[in-house]
Parts: sequence; C-alpha cells; structure tokens
Amino acid sequence: MNDSKLKRFFQDFYLVFVLIFLYAPILTMMVLSFNSSKSRTDWGGFTLDWYRQMFQSSSIMDALYNTLLIAFISALAATILGTVAAIGINQMKRLPRSIAMGVNNIPMLNSEIVTGISLMLAFLAFGISLGFKTILLSHITFCVPYVILSVMPKLKQTSRYTYEAAMDLGAGPVEAFFKVVLPDIMPGVLSGFLLAFTMSLDDFIITHFTRGAGINTLSTLIYSEVRRGIKPSMYALSTIIFLTVLALLLITNFSPEKSPASGEKEKAGRSRRETARRILLVAASFCVIAAVSFTTYSHYAAARSNELYVYNWGEYIDETVIEDFEKETGIHVIYDLFETNEEMYPVIEAGGVAYDAVCPSDYMIQKMIENDLLAEINFDNIPNISQIDPEYMERSRSFDPENRYSVPYTWGTVGILYNDKLVEKLGAEPPDSWMDLWDEKFSGEILMQDSVRDAFMCALKGLGYSLNSTDPDELNQAKDLLIRQKPLIQAYVIDQVRDKMLGGEAAVGVIYSGEMLYLQELAEGKDFNLEYVIPKEGTNLWIDSWVIPKNAKNKENAEKWIDFLCRPDIAKRNFEYITYATPNRGAFEMLDEELQQNKAVFPDWDSLTNAEVYRYLGDEADSIYNELWKEVKSN
Amino acid sequence: MEHPLIDLVNISKTFDNTMVLDDLCLSVKENTFVTLLGPSGCGKTTPLRIIGGFEKPDTGKVIFDGQDITNLPPNKRQLNTVFQKYALFTHMTIAENIAFGLKIKNKPKAYIDDKIKYALKLVNLDGFENRSVASLSGGQQQRIAIARAIVNEPRVLLLDEPLGALDLKLRQDMQYELIRLKNELGITFIYVTHDQEEALTMSDTIVVMNQGYIQQMGSPEQIYNEPENAFVADFIGESNIVPGTMIRDELVEIFGARFACVDKGFGVNRPVDVVIRPEDIDLVEPEKGTLTGVCTHLIFKGVHYEMEVTTPDGFEWLVHSTDMCPVGKQVGIHVDPFDIQIMNKPESEDEEAVGVNE
Ligand SMILES: Nc1ncnc2c1ncn2[C@@H]1O[C@H](COP(=O)(O)OP(=O)(O)OP(=O)(O)O)[C@@H](O)[C@H]1O
Ligand SMILES: [Mg+2]
Repeated sequence: MNDSKLKRFFQDFYLVFVLIFLYAPILTMMVLSFNSSKSRTDWGGFTLDWYRQMFQSSSIMDALYNTLLIAFISALAATILGTVAAIGINQMKRLPRSIAMGVNNIPMLNSEIVTGISLMLAFLAFGISLGFKTILLSHITFCVPYVILSVMPKLKQTSRYTYEAAMDLGAGPVEAFFKVVLPDIMPGVLSGFLLAFTMSLDDFIITHFTRGAGINTLSTLIYSEVRRGIKPSMYALSTIIFLTVLALLLITNFSPEKSPASGEKEKAGRSRRETARRILLVAASFCVIAAVSFTTYSHYAAARSNELYVYNWGEYIDETVIEDFEKETGIHVIYDLFETNEEMYPVIEAGGVAYDAVCPSDYMIQKMIENDLLAEINFDNIPNISQIDPEYMERSRSFDPENRYSVPYTWGTVGILYNDKLVEKLGAEPPDSWMDLWDEKFSGEILMQDSVRDAFMCALKGLGYSLNSTDPDELNQAKDLLIRQKPLIQAYVIDQVRDKMLGGEAAVGVIYSGEMLYLQELAEGKDFNLEYVIPKEGTNLWIDSWVIPKNAKNKENAEKWIDFLCRPDIAKRNFEYITYATPNRGAFEMLDEELQQNKAVFPDWDSLTNAEVYRYLGDEADSIYNELWKEVKSN
Repeated sequence: MEHPLIDLVNISKTFDNTMVLDDLCLSVKENTFVTLLGPSGCGKTTPLRIIGGFEKPDTGKVIFDGQDITNLPPNKRQLNTVFQKYALFTHMTIAENIAFGLKIKNKPKAYIDDKIKYALKLVNLDGFENRSVASLSGGQQQRIAIARAIVNEPRVLLLDEPLGALDLKLRQDMQYELIRLKNELGITFIYVTHDQEEALTMSDTIVVMNQGYIQQMGSPEQIYNEPENAFVADFIGESNIVPGTMIRDELVEIFGARFACVDKGFGVNRPVDVVIRPEDIDLVEPEKGTLTGVCTHLIFKGVHYEMEVTTPDGFEWLVHSTDMCPVGKQVGIHVDPFDIQIMNKPESEDEEAVGVNE
C-alpha cells in the first residue's frame, strides 16, 4: 500500500544525494569565500573582505581583464571562422564531408596537454614569442571545432533550398546568406559563440603552455597561487567564475528556440520569449563589454613602455610594493608567477619569455649558473646590498661560490612541528632529533613531507650524513631507514601538514619554518600549542634569491628592482606579508622585539651549525634519488 | 509562329558520372502551360533547376526571350520557382515570407500589404499573415510557397510538384486556381509532376520524360490518344499494348485476327506494337467479335466496371465498360478502327528510352 510512497521517498532521497554529491564541493568553496577566518575548517564569521581584497588586487584584475578579453575576441573570431568553415563543409560531398568532420573532431578529443605543448612548440619553432597574442591564437584554434560542431546540425536542418529560394526571389548571394541562412542557423551560431566563450574562460592547460611573461588568465593565476594553500580571495574569485559560467549556461539553455507548437497563441508567446531572449543577450553582451572596457582602461592607464618582467613564486611579495616601485621608478612591472623551481627552470631555459628578475631557490640557482643561464649582477647598482646580513652572503656561496649572481630574498629552515598535548599523552618526550620520527610511540602520528629531497634530508641527517650526499652507500642506508619508517607514518603530504596539525590530527610533522608565524596565529585559543624544533643533527637551510637571466632585456631595471627590495622598509613590508624570514638586517632591526625573539622564524645561529643548503647534485645523482624514492614510496 | 519565351538548346547534365539529361531540347511559348511528366527520378526537376539558374548545364544553352541566360545567376532571372520542398523561411512569419521578394525590390509598404492579402486569398489562407511556418500543415506550406512566388508577378513560374502534399479535393481546387492564374496574369507555367491526371487536366503541352530523354511532346489529347511509343502509352492512362503485324496500310493482324485501323506508312508485314485503351474495347456477342475470349476478372470501379478478358493465346485484355460481363462468360472483342494506335516496335531497351528524340 505504502509501497509507492516508499519508492517516492527513495527516489527523492537519491536525487538529493546526487545533488549533494555534485554541488557540495562548490557550496563549500562558496561558504568559505565568506569566512572571515583563513582556516578551511573553522567558521570565523561572515565577511566580504575576500571579495574586497580580490577587487583591489591588481594581479587579479589584470587576469580578469585578460581572461575576458581573450575569451571575447577568441570566441568572436572562432565563431566567424567556424561558421564559415561549417558552411563550407556542409557543401561538400559525402566522403570529403565526413573526412572533414573527423578531422574537426580530433582536436576536441585530443588530450589538452598535447594540444598545449604542440601549440607552444609551434610558436617557439616559428619564433613567435609567447604572450597575449599566442594565448589568443591558441584559444581561437581550440574553439573553432566547437563552433563547427554546434553550427553543423543547424545547417543540416535548414534545407539548402531556402538559400536558393531567397536567390530566386531576387536576393543576391550575400543578401540571401544574411537574410535567410544566418537567421536560420543563428541559434547554433550563438550557442557556438557562448560555448567558445566558456571554453576559453575555462581553459587552463593550453593557456598555461602558451602564455608569456606577465600574462595571466584567471585560471593560471589561481593555479600559481596554490603553492602555499589557496588564499581565500581565490575562493571569492572561483565563486564569481562559477556564477558567471552558470549564468552563461542558463542563457544558452533557456534562450528559447522556436517550438513547433501550433495555435494562435504561438505568435504572442514566441515574440515575448524572443524579446526576453534579446534582452538577456543584450544584457549579457553589455556586461561583457563593460567589464572588458573597464579592465582595459585600468590596464592601459598603468601600461608604460619602460618595463620590467618579474618571475616570482605565488604570494611572494606584498603587492603594494610593486605599485610603489612603479610609482617611484616609472617602470611598469609585468609580474608573473611560478609554483615550483622545476616549473620555472624550463621556462627560463627555453627563453620563450625574456624575464628580467627571477627568484629561484638555492640548488636551482646553482643549476642555472652551471648551465650558463644567469647574468652577473652589477652590484654598483645595488647599494642596499649592504643591508643583507653577511652571514647569508656567506651561506649563499654554497650555490653561488663568488656571490656574483644572486641576492638573498627570504630564507628558512625545515624542522619538526609538534603538538605538546598529544606528545605528552603518548608518553613521549618533545622531539629534538630527526630520529624521533622513528620513535614507535609516535606510530600513526607522523606527517612527512612528500618530496624526495626533504624526505631523504630527514633520513640522511638522522644518520649523520650530509643532506647533499651522493654516496650510494649512504643513500641506500637512508632509503632503508625511510622504508623502516613507513609503518609509523600517518601520511606523506605537503600542504596538509599545516591543516592536520591545526586540527590536532597528528602529533608530529615535518614543516617549513615559513609556515610558523601563520600557524601560531591560527593556533591561538586552541587547547594545545604547536612548537617548532630544529633537530640537533642540523637541517636544511634554504635561501630564495633574486637572479637576472642572461637573456634579460631590462637588466638595469632588474637591478633597480633588486635594490628596491633590499631597502629595509620594503623588506619589512614583504616580511610581514610573506612571513618567511628575511635576511635583511635593517628590516630585522625594525621588527617588534617579540618577533625578533621568535625562534621558529629567526633561529639562533648556534642551532644552525649543522645546517646545510641544498645543492644541485647533477642529473645522475638526481635520478639515483628518484629511483630510491620510488622504492620507498612503492614499499 | 511567335518565337518561344524559353528555349533549352541541347542541354546535357551529368551528376556523379550518371547522365541525367542528354541533349535535351525544349521550347516553351509565352503564356502556355507546359508540364514535364515522368516517373520519379527521371530528370524532371533538373531542367527546372537549370531554367531557374540553380544548376549549370554541362553543355547547351538556356535562351530566355531571345537572350542567352545560361550564366545568369538566379536572382537576375525574371522567373520564380515553387520548390518541391517548399523552402519557406522558418524564422519569418507567413506575411514576411510572402513579402520577401517584394521587399528586396523595394516596393512600397501599402503595395506589399495589398499583395500579401491578395495572395493569401488566392491560396485560400486568409488571415494567416502572422502565423509561423512551423504551425502550418504540409499542404498549407505548399500553398504559401505558391503565394510567395506569384506575388512577384514573374514572367515564368516554375512549379516543382506543387500540389503533391494536398488531398484530392484541395488539389483539384488548386488546379483550377492555377489555371485561372495563368489566364488572368498571363504567366507562363512550367510545371513538374508525376501525376498524369494532373498533367492531362492542366496543360497546354505535356512533355513526357523518361531517363533524361523526352519521349513525346504534345497536347494532352495527342499524348493520350496517340502515344508514340510503349512507354508513353503505358505511362499515360491504362492501355493494352499487344504485339501485332502490319499487313498493309490500314490493316493490322493481332493474334491471328485482322483489325481495320487508320494508320499508314508502316510498310508491309512489319511487326508493330498496337495500343488499345481499355475503354475503347467493345464487348459484343462472341460471333460478332473480331477475337473471342472468356471474362476472367470483374471489379466495380464506380464510374465503370473493370474486366479482364483472356483470349486463347493467353493475353489478358483490360476492358473498361459501363456494361457488366459476368466472370466465365464467353465474349467477343470489337475495336473501332480509329481507336487502334499503331507504334513502331523498339529493337532494344535503349531505343525504347531514346524513342522519339531523333
Ligand atoms: N545534386 C545532385 N547530385 C547528384 N545526383 C543528382 C542531383 N540532383 C539530381 N540527381 C540525380 O539525377 C536524377 C534526376 O533527378 P531529378 O531531381 O531531376 O528527378 P525528378 O524527376 O525530379 O524526380 P522526383 O519526381 O523524385 O522529384 C536522379 O537520379 C537524381 O538522383
Ligand atoms: Mg523532382
């Protein structure tokens, strides 16, 4: 009796379940975009700050401008090209037509990464330097097939006789096309345009490969921002992107097509829907044009001929510093982001983009010097170099032996983070040695860094070897040690060390000191403390430094830039933003005493006696490391 | 003789290696109603499209009013087409469809409105101005296509099976309307159909086509009464086509029996085909008939009975008559001399198709 009710209930339940499954992640992101706390797990109250921050950030607004402009132009161009192509294909005989459609479908099915790489290679091979125009060309390229695909069915539906009928009634070929054929296929053309627009808005992979210096679209910007956890303003941005795409989809799907419904009401209904659709389309295009022109204005208001191409980590500068530099020097900064050293290196090596100032890490700088990619810095142009603590210049010698190529920007250590309450509960002593990570008491409570060098560093240092060891015997011992540790480990992770430790999910974890200030702020008010120790065997001391690539076009501007960043007040602002330790003595002296005493950020030099800087070990050693690492991971 | 309005001179057309028209010649006089008649796929639409300018002949010329228009684009030709597939503009209302040609010619609005009203009345669709194409039935769409063409007052109207989607009643009404139009407007009609009855009703001249060749051209009466070959005889109406021998002028032998006829000039003792329409056979007492047979089949058709009479040689004669002959009855067959049509016997399949063109 109640069978059908029960059935209905389960049907509804199932639907709700599917909806939750599909939309919960996006909802989560949307909610977090209004969360005043930076945490991903705690709700700190409602705020619009992230949205405000987003609109104030010039890099986001620039990316927005690029995204919209590229999407608009490429969709327009692709629509015209695609429609013309579709008409041509439609006129073909059967066999050539199906061949043409097959050829058309291949790029859509082709893996995007292959398309991206081949486009990049083609541009480089033909000597086209990567930049705005290459992204545009690529987007046009990959959008055309989609337009063809959405115009084609409409063309097939409209009989070729309507075109002939128009000619028969006196219309010339052009007039006949615009008056009869185009209106007939218009729904297909429009949805082709919107599809191309969304595809372009959405694209990451192809843009990533074909973009040049300083050009970011929203997707590449977001991607490059994720290095150290995503800023909440990125949630805000993603929310807006989602809503925009949703709106576009709604417009395409609800723009009413003429239904063959009959009756007298048809006309009235049709014209009402038609007007609604026109208004919608006009409104949508108006918004697009307004957004494009606004961003164009702000973009070109800032553009100048005197330029500097900077390539830096995401979130690795206080953006107002860039603006101040532009104001003071009149140099227009084109600012570009990378996520890892390994991603940065081939870009510089390929030289598709001529960057003027780049900020790699120690071992990578060594590799770049060895491969002759860097220019010697003229230190006469950098008077503020005196502000850099000589200790760091000294440490830099391990990768830049004569201090000729690099100027330290930030530095830090790798250490063990522990939860004092949990450690006590487990009946263990607070850790002070790498070997404590092999303590059975911490079984299931250990978080390791998921990266070759960092993992081997823990083991090598624990064994008392150099973290730059290339001795096969030492490396094998380290490998065995890591394999022995595996049952004790909760997980190999990167970013989540921070969140898991904050959530009290693990007792000890390997972490970069740069996270500490931020972590301590978030841990305030919890019923446990998170403490940072540098193990007594010594650790990795890393330094990120500014360098100038050999193919830089604005070397003097780059030196001005580096000098500017060495100015104590500027270095202080950057430190406060990045929270990674600064090698700048002047800046350090300006800090609150409490900060100066924070041993997690600025450890005593005594504790660093055994610390070493990573060195580039050469390709051969690299592959040995990777082989052993694979063994560890697969064990 | 007045010179023709349209002259197709030695037109040939090949699609994908198949010859669709072979050396076609056709003259159409001003203000006549010419019908191209033939089975489906025989190449009726193709000459129409060549006249309309949508297809270029491989060889040959199209002459319009004394001028060679072979290479003139369709929009420059003083003729309009009613397409086989209607080809209405679906994104426009009915009124906009009809006004299309006039707007292009920049006619004044009042004139256009008048014309729309007039044309809709003509095709019996008053008040349909604001309907959408999709809301019309096939027959209604076809009539709109006619309206859209005639408002332009072309000198020649090309119609490709324009009544195909209509029911019998509407079809007959439209046939009269079209004839009236032709007479009122002085438009020359070139009309394509595969319906022989329609062709016989409406045309001044019928062109019977098969496999890209003209089989016979003439007035409906000529085509019906004096088919020049078996194909035409078979295609136009029903007929009995029997082998015979021309004994001499005005005497033909069929199955051993001699019939008087009116045809001459076939020679002596020549094998021929003989066409006799079913309604021209008189069934008489066996002893009075030229041939005798047995009635083997009987159907009542409304206006007449349809019967089959089998003669001893096994041939089944189709007979239409208002008098009934019961099945199994022995009857005699009699045919009046002027109802017998003699045709040359084709020597091969090919010649059957080529037929009269030489
Ligand atoms: N564009 C074309 N491409 C290839 N073959 C064609 C084309 N148009 C016509 N044909 C072929 O030419 C022949 C004659 O075609 P046509 O359309 O003239 O015939 P039709 O007599 O009008 O037939 P129907 O009564 O079915 O309309 C057919 O065999 C047809 O397949
Ligand atoms: Mg046809």
